[in-house]
Amino acid sequence: MLERPELFELAIKIVINGLTSSLVYILMALGFTLIFGIMRIVNFAHGELYMIAAFLVYVLAGSLGWNYYLVVILAAVTVGLFGAALERVLFRPFIGRELNGMIMALAVSITLQAAAFILFGPEDHSVERPVSGVIQMGTVMVPRDRLAVGLIALFILGLFYLFMRYTKAGLAMRAVVQDEEIASIHGVRPRIIYPLAFGLGGVLAGFAGALMAPIYTIYPYMGAQPMLKAFIVVILGGLGSIPGAVLGGVVLGLAESVFATLINSTVATMVSFAIVVVILLIKPTGLLGR
Amino acid sequence: MKPSQSLISYLLLIAALAVLPFLLRNPFLTHIGVMIGLYTTLALSMNLMLRIGQISFAHGAFFGLGAYGSALFMMRLGLPFPVAFVGAALGVTLLAWLVGQVFLRIRGVYFVLLTFAFGEIIVLVFIEWVSLFGGSNGLSGVPRPSWFGHEIQSRDGFYLMALALAALAFASVRALYRSELGAVITSLDENEALTCSLGINPRQYRLLTFCFSSFLAGLSGALYGHYMTVVTPEDYGFWVPVNLVVINVIGGIANPIGAVLGALLIVPLPEFLRDAKQYQILLYGILLIVFLLFMPDGLYATIDRVRRRRKGRAA
Repeated sequence: MLERPELFELAIKIVINGLTSSLVYILMALGFTLIFGIMRIVNFAHGELYMIAAFLVYVLAGSLGWNYYLVVILAAVTVGLFGAALERVLFRPFIGRELNGMIMALAVSITLQAAAFILFGPEDHSVERPVSGVIQMGTVMVPRDRLAVGLIALFILGLFYLFMRYTKAGLAMRAVVQDEEIASIHGVRPRIIYPLAFGLGGVLAGFAGALMAPIYTIYPYMGAQPMLKAFIVVILGGLGSIPGAVLGGVVLGLAESVFATLINSTVATMVSFAIVVVILLIKPTGLLGR
Repeated sequence: MKPSQSLISYLLLIAALAVLPFLLRNPFLTHIGVMIGLYTTLALSMNLMLRIGQISFAHGAFFGLGAYGSALFMMRLGLPFPVAFVGAALGVTLLAWLVGQVFLRIRGVYFVLLTFAFGEIIVLVFIEWVSLFGGSNGLSGVPRPSWFGHEIQSRDGFYLMALALAALAFASVRALYRSELGAVITSLDENEALTCSLGINPRQYRLLTFCFSSFLAGLSGALYGHYMTVVTPEDYGFWVPVNLVVINVIGGIANPIGAVLGALLIVPLPEFLRDAKQYQILLYGILLIVFLLFMPDGLYATIDRVRRRRKGRAA
C-alpha cells in the first residue's frame, strides 16, 4: 500500500505529465477540428505537418545552428503556408465530399512520409534541448523542457483564442463552422476562409512539431502518433467543435497519464480507443459536438 | 455478348491463368500471383463496403483474425485445414454480425473512425494477449494446408488456391450486384429514403453486406497466414484498409472489375521495388493523388469510355 504522501506525489506527477501532453494534443486537435468543421475534410495528413516542422527545426536549428526560438516561429509559419497551398492545390475539389477528401488526405500523408524518408533516411535524429534540468516543486521534480513547452503552448493557445474571438477572420471562421450558407449570405467568402483555416491548422501543428522536436526523436513517421492523438481528442470533443478539442485534449492527456503510470502504455492506448468506440456509438458527434 | 458466352470466356480466362505458372516456371512471378489473388479478394470485400458508402477500416483486423483464427484452429485444436479455413472466416463473419448491429448505425466519416478505432483495438489485443496470439512476434510455424490428406507445399499449389478464391469472390460479388438484392444494396447509398419508402429495412441489407464482406476478408486472411507460415500483428493494421481503398479508387469503384484491375496494378509494385520501398510508397501516394484529381472514376471507367467511343465510331 502506498503511504499518503507518496500517493499525493504520484497524483501530482500524473497530473503534470497529463497536462503537458494535453497541451500538445490540443495544439494538434484544434487545427484538425477547424479543418473538419470548415471543409468537412478529415485531414489524415495533419501528422505530417507536425513532422515537417520538426525536420525544419532539425535542419535550421540543429545543423545550421540558428536560434531555436526563431526557428520555432519560422517553422510554424512555413508549415502554415504549406498547409494553405495544400488546400488550394489538392483539397479544394474535395471540400464537402467527406470520403473522397479523406482518401486525398491519406494520399498526401503517404507521399509526404515517403518524401521525408527519402530525404532524411530511416534513422532517428535529434536536436539539442534549448532548456534542460529539473525544477524542484516541493517533493515533485518537473523537467524544465516540458514545463517550457507547456508554457509556450499555453501562450499560443491564448493567442489562438483571442484570434478566433476578437478578429473578423476568426468570427468568419466560426460562422462557417456553424452554417456555411448563412455565413456566405453575410458576406463571408469561403475562397478566403478555406486556405485560412488550413493555414491556421498548419501553424498550430507546426508549433506542436517544432516544440516537441527537441523532446522526442525526429523521424519520417513521427507524425503518426500525434495525429492519432488529435484524432482521438477530436472524436472525444466532437468533430468540428473548438471547445470540444480543448476538453478532449485534457481528458485524453489525463486518462492516458493515469493508465500509463498505473498499468502500461499499450493498455493506455487500448483504453483510449475503447473510449472512442463507446463515444462514437452513443453520441457520434462527441461530447460537445452539435 | 450473351450470358452463356461471357461465362465461357470467364472460365477460359481462369483456366488460362491457372496454367500460367506451369508455363512460366518463375517462382517470383508465382508469388506475385498469389498476392494478387489474395488482394483481389480483399479489394472485392472492400468494394462491397464502398457500395453501401461505408468504408470499413476494420478490414485489416478481419483479415488478421482470419489468419490467426485458421492458424490457431489447426495448431491448438488440430482441426483439418478445410474446417479451420472456413471456420476462421465464419468466426470473423460472426464477429462482424455482432459488431455490425451497432456499428452500422453510424455513417460517413464517423463509421470510418469507429471501425478504425475498433481495428486498432483488435491489433493491440494481438500484441497484448501473448499466450494466445504470441505478442509482437506473432505465431510461427503455421502448418501448411492439406486437402483430403494431400498437403500443399508448393507455391503453385497456393497460386491455384488464391486464384480459385479470387475467381469465386469475383463471380459472387458480380452475381450479387446483378441480382435484385444488389440493386437494393446499391440504392442504400444512392437514396436510402426512397428505398425505405418501398418497405425495405436498410439495416438488414447493410448488415448482410458487412457480413459477406468480412467473410471474404476472413477467407483471404486465412489463406495468407498459411502461405506466409508466420502471422505477425503488424501485417493487419491501418495499412491493409488503406491499400484496399487505394486499389479500389485506382481500379474504379463502380464495377468489381475495377478491384481486379487495381490489384493487378498495385500489388506487384512493392514486390518489384523491394529494394526501394520508399520510392514505391512515394509512387503510390503520387499515383493516388493523380487518380483522385484527374481520373476520379478509376481505370476501369476510363477504359470503358474509350471502348464505347471506339464502338460508337465503328457503328
